[in-house]
Amino acid sequence: MTTYFIRRILLMIPTFLGSTILIFVILQMAPGGPLERTIQQLQAGAMQQGESVGSVGDIMSGGSSVLPESALRELRRFYGFDKPVYQRYLIWLGVWPREIKHREVKFSGDVKEVSKNVGRGTYMTLRLEGEQVGVYDKAGITSDIWKGAIDKEASKDDNVVATIFQTEFSGILTGNLGTSYTYDQPVSEVMAPRFKVSMFFGLTGLFLSYIVCIPLGIRKALNHGSAFDFLSSVVVFAAYSIPGYALGMVLLVLLGGGSFWDIFPLGGFRSPTEIWETLSLWGKIKDQLWHMVLPIIAWSISSFAGLTILMKNSLLENISQDYIRTAFAKGLQEKRVIWVHAIRNSIIPIASGIGGVIGVVIAGSYLIEKVFNIDGFGKMGFQAILDRDYPITLGFLVIVVVIRLVSNILSDIALATVDPRIRFK
Amino acid sequence: MPEQQEISLSILKKRWLKFKTLKRGYYSFVLLVILYILSWFLPLLVNNRALVLSYEDEMYFPIISGYYAGSEFGQDVPGETIYRELQATWESENSENWVIMPIYPYSPFEDITVAGNKMYDPPSNTHWLGTDNTGRDVFARLCYAFNISISFALVLTILNYIIGVIIGGSMGYFGGRFDLFFQRIIEIWSSLPMLFVIIIISSIIRPSFFLLIFIYTIVNWIGMTYLMRAEFYREKSKDYVAAALSMGQTNFKVMFKHILPNAMVPIITFFPFAIVGGISALVSLDYLGFGMPPPTPSWGQMLDVGLQNITKAWMVFAPISALFSTLIMVVFIGEAVREAFDPKVYSRLR
Repeated sequence: MTTYFIRRILLMIPTFLGSTILIFVILQMAPGGPLERTIQQLQAGAMQQGESVGSVGDIMSGGSSVLPESALRELRRFYGFDKPVYQRYLIWLGVWPREIKHREVKFSGDVKEVSKNVGRGTYMTLRLEGEQVGVYDKAGITSDIWKGAIDKEASKDDNVVATIFQTEFSGILTGNLGTSYTYDQPVSEVMAPRFKVSMFFGLTGLFLSYIVCIPLGIRKALNHGSAFDFLSSVVVFAAYSIPGYALGMVLLVLLGGGSFWDIFPLGGFRSPTEIWETLSLWGKIKDQLWHMVLPIIAWSISSFAGLTILMKNSLLENISQDYIRTAFAKGLQEKRVIWVHAIRNSIIPIASGIGGVIGVVIAGSYLIEKVFNIDGFGKMGFQAILDRDYPITLGFLVIVVVIRLVSNILSDIALATVDPRIRFK
Repeated sequence: MPEQQEISLSILKKRWLKFKTLKRGYYSFVLLVILYILSWFLPLLVNNRALVLSYEDEMYFPIISGYYAGSEFGQDVPGETIYRELQATWESENSENWVIMPIYPYSPFEDITVAGNKMYDPPSNTHWLGTDNTGRDVFARLCYAFNISISFALVLTILNYIIGVIIGGSMGYFGGRFDLFFQRIIEIWSSLPMLFVIIIISSIIRPSFFLLIFIYTIVNWIGMTYLMRAEFYREKSKDYVAAALSMGQTNFKVMFKHILPNAMVPIITFFPFAIVGGISALVSLDYLGFGMPPPTPSWGQMLDVGLQNITKAWMVFAPISALFSTLIMVVFIGEAVREAFDPKVYSRLR
């Protein structure tokens, strides 16, 4: 059993690599990536400003609508597009040295040695040694920190362009998800608050749907074929046939001050910060609940139908088993037979579903977040794709993938824990 | 002639008879099939071009032959004839000429550029469900979107099934390395958040109907593959397969002629739910703006516009009711099919 789970966890590694490679390649192949977008923006800016280019500084030297070569190179280096895809992937993973703090150096004509300021008044001596660039400090010893390389694409005949840079291993394996292009913040800092918002909704919704669905399913199973069963089936079918976000829209139009009643707010996680800060604790709780009601209903509806039917069918199946007949035959009370014998066995498929639900909690709710304009995790990922903010997109997808992989294992563990008959091999 | 014996009914026929007794599902099925067939004739029913028109003793069929300039029928409008107005003028003049319009004389693409159309017109006798933000008739768009949604889901599901049967069937039938390899691929595939992958791909290439189906199929084939793998895996160890093989049948024949008919139950019972998935997928993609290219009528796009104009309730309620009633009919069918195919009869307590 333990060996099985250890093997499963080890198998996560190739799956993780496979899916991240897939995501990475799809994103990198996409035209209109961040590099092209930035170039376009800069050019558009230059066109607007005509001759008077000031804001973008040296990148826009000359004021023409075409970016100078060196600026293009710098941009390409900034976004990492000067490397082949596999290197970019490995760098992003954190197992290939990442080059940082680039500085460009030109060797023109016969000059083989250049001194370069690397900040804080420190100078490094660069020496052209055939195909390589040596970097030496003041004492003439090869530098440990700085490395040099020739930029082959930029070099022409006599003019050799080289870069010096520092290297470090930093990628997702070292916990560095990069810096967002649009928010200009580390990705993890952008994600953390939004992740919390989504978790908050997800877990509350999960909790509520379990609280409603399990008793409802039990009741339906015990009264199979009754009027109650029929009526609640209608509700269940209706719930199954309406996507959560569509229900959210209906609720907004009806109760959110659209055309009918104005009871609940139109959206948002809670009141804006200015108002939120002035509220008392009780006020905060009320405000939070007030904002939560509609999204939570919309969120829970998606799992409501499935869970209820699962609970009902599972209990029905158990009730028709022989061991229940035996229990009745030996004269046990109906209550005891159902609540002690049958329910315990019927809860198994529900318990094992928990892991799977967690994955949905995180990623599946962005349509609802969009409808209710909640600044959550899913909406952030969606927006990042629109903005071509690759660090965030990649970070988002990686987290979703990891959560799914882990939750798959969690469901198996949950299943094995509740049902001692199940043994994985 | 001897009468056919009752016992010789095939299992499928028995199931069909059982299905017919489940009224809710059966009537939904009939209704949905009729509506879908009707929806292919929508240009004859919901359109702004006249079906038949008689002008100076000559017959015209604009619905087939297409564009006629207004000047051809003596109408003083730039561009195409506005047949509704033509009909009104000729009727008021009691002239010899006549026009037969479709039952609902508005097209899903006709916006405010056509005289007489207003933005955000609330539901009325002329526009049954009002007009949207560009003055297009909501009811007309709803009808055309129905056809597109169902067609999308049908084509998508059938494609997924073909891939699922071929790959999943081979996985279960051949097993070994092939099975292991595809299992890994499926695991990788299913760990990805697919709607996001579709959004990424759709943001790169502007999808058309078939491109969208293609993208979705790439992403969506896994579900059926899993089912088919299990089904083929179970069936292949049965005696009839060994018998067929020992008689020299090829693997291909064994798979598709012998095993497949025995693996039909999950294929059929899963079908309606796959349709539900297909329809909702298209709606959510359209809602996010990554589905059909505009101005294709689509429920998702209508939802998006509706939510932006939340005070105009008809614009939200119309597409949602259409979506909801379509989905609930399919769910009823699915439930009935499942019951017809499921020999298990739940016993009540004691």
